[in-house]
Amino acid sequence: MTPRLGASLLRLFAVQGSWNYERMIGLGVGVAEEPLLRDLPGGVAGPAYRAAVARGARFFNAHPYLCGLVVGAAARAEHDGASPEQVERLRAALTGPLGALGDRLVWAGWLPFASGLALMAVALGAGWPAIAGFLLIYNAGHVALRWWALRAGWAHGPRVAAALHDAGLQRAVAWTGPAMALATGAALPLVALHLAAPFDDWARAALAAAAAGGFAVLQLRWPAIGGLRLGLVLVAAALVVGWVWQ
Amino acid sequence: MTLELQLFLLAWGTLVGLDLVSVPQMMIARPLVAGAVAGTVLGDLRTGLQLGVVFELFQFDVLPVGAARYPEYGPATVAAVSMAHAAPGLQGLGLGTVVGLLTAMLGGVSLHFLRRVNARAVHRAVARIEEGDAGTLVRTHLGGILRDALRAATVTAVGLGIAWEARAVFAATLSPTGVTALAVAAVGAALAAGAAGTFRLIGRGPGLRWFAAGLGGGALVAWLR
Amino acid sequence: MSIALYRIDDRLIHGQVVVGWGQPLDCAFIVLVDNEVRESDWEQDLYRMGVPPNLEVIFASTVEVAERLPTWEADGRVGILLVGDIDTATALCANAPQVKRLNVGGIHHRPGRTERLRFVYLTDEEAAKLRQLAAQGVEITAQDVPTARPIPLGEFT
Repeated sequence: MTPRLGASLLRLFAVQGSWNYERMIGLGVGVAEEPLLRDLPGGVAGPAYRAAVARGARFFNAHPYLCGLVVGAAARAEHDGASPEQVERLRAALTGPLGALGDRLVWAGWLPFASGLALMAVALGAGWPAIAGFLLIYNAGHVALRWWALRAGWAHGPRVAAALHDAGLQRAVAWTGPAMALATGAALPLVALHLAAPFDDWARAALAAAAAGGFAVLQLRWPAIGGLRLGLVLVAAALVVGWVWQ
Repeated sequence: MTLELQLFLLAWGTLVGLDLVSVPQMMIARPLVAGAVAGTVLGDLRTGLQLGVVFELFQFDVLPVGAARYPEYGPATVAAVSMAHAAPGLQGLGLGTVVGLLTAMLGGVSLHFLRRVNARAVHRAVARIEEGDAGTLVRTHLGGILRDALRAATVTAVGLGIAWEARAVFAATLSPTGVTALAVAAVGAALAAGAAGTFRLIGRGPGLRWFAAGLGGGALVAWLR
Repeated sequence: MSIALYRIDDRLIHGQVVVGWGQPLDCAFIVLVDNEVRESDWEQDLYRMGVPPNLEVIFASTVEVAERLPTWEADGRVGILLVGDIDTATALCANAPQVKRLNVGGIHHRPGRTERLRFVYLTDEEAAKLRQLAAQGVEITAQDVPTARPIPLGEFT
């Protein structure tokens, strides 16, 4: 790893630091790309560097772990002498696909998979090892993905679409969905039993009814009613019951 | 609870809040982790894990896709554990969940507010950024991270404050039936949110078979225990 | 079930579409209507990479859409139709008058646009085009994800 790629990778861990509705994570992407632009012709005082820095910080949004692809690809394109329009088109074309792919792979795959394993382990009494295991497993994938994305973007430049055909990435995308479904499915009954442990028999029956009723409400009334709203309504009702039924 | 412990929880809640979006997204913001560490700080890992599991289930209902708005359960879990640690058994579970849900709602609102403030900061710097001034770009970005740290600290502090007040207001007034009803409502809502969120993640495609297989395996293990 | 969502989103296929809407709607195909992407193999390749293998992506131009929309609407599976900007949406509604609902899912900041909602930035001219479509009988609401409230056009233009 060159020092500049290393600096870019470190900055990518804070790519969402200035998240805003106008440029979304554009500023963070620009900050991460900046070290890779320093040796453009003319150096940091040259017009090529300044124009590339300005372009790099414009509107962008994608999954944060895959932003390295656009950072590396756009920087490589700047070095290859791509026109401003080509760089803008590359960034625009990567926004949606990197968001969709990352959301599937991480938010709807790897993260709930690791969380499901951790929930199972806690429910089975593992305690701290479950938490440490979750952080280790999850972040092994997390850091590897960030590093792969930056390297692949920097290596492929405007032909970055080819990097997404990487066999390892494709395998990861293919198995995270089923693995997540298996892990979360197994976690739910174990967690239910774990959380029901402190209740007596009639309270467990009430708990089963509340969970089933709540699930039905969330299935039928979602998105108008989500988990937070359901939780607030149920605990508010229970507080009223608790005051009335002394 | 000593002031020192409250300050530890405040520092931990701030790191947890920063991790959610800004840096480094290593998932200490997940309720399971946030709760376990908060419980350890208080010398009560069991309560930390219990509330961590409850809010991890609520977290399954949240999918942070695109620029969507969502509740923030990390600092909320820290505040919830602080509440639950101070109350016995089911009372702690129920009241901790109440505190956590209110804090999560506040966290979600604060994220929206932060994104607006960040946009104003970008507006002020946009002319220099468009000239390619890397110093201004980095400073504006760092400003966003500092504001998020301040936001996370504020949310955690308010959550800990709600927990403090909840002890005084609710703890002495709830009957034993009320305590059980509240805990049933809290855990029931968490299980419902976890199951419904998981269903939405999986969809009605081929993942359902894997989910059913997992459910069967999990139920079998639960039965054998 | 046909097309469940007609959406304007400048990010086209991204997480909100595939996971946020696609999963709960049990979406089986996405129609991406964009004249430039229709002609660009590498961009089509990129967009295909973002979706699961069981989700079909169909690329169409604004001209092709008029001819093929009846087929997609008669499809027994659930579909989402995406356009990237208001001009394409206007062309879509002109070429396919059966489109009577439009979801504004995301039109982001560019010089000249002002904020109407946190995920909708429009020039005055773009806002006028949306109002014109509404006057022609198209129901237009803004909603980024299914959990958000659909906001009627009158509240953001």
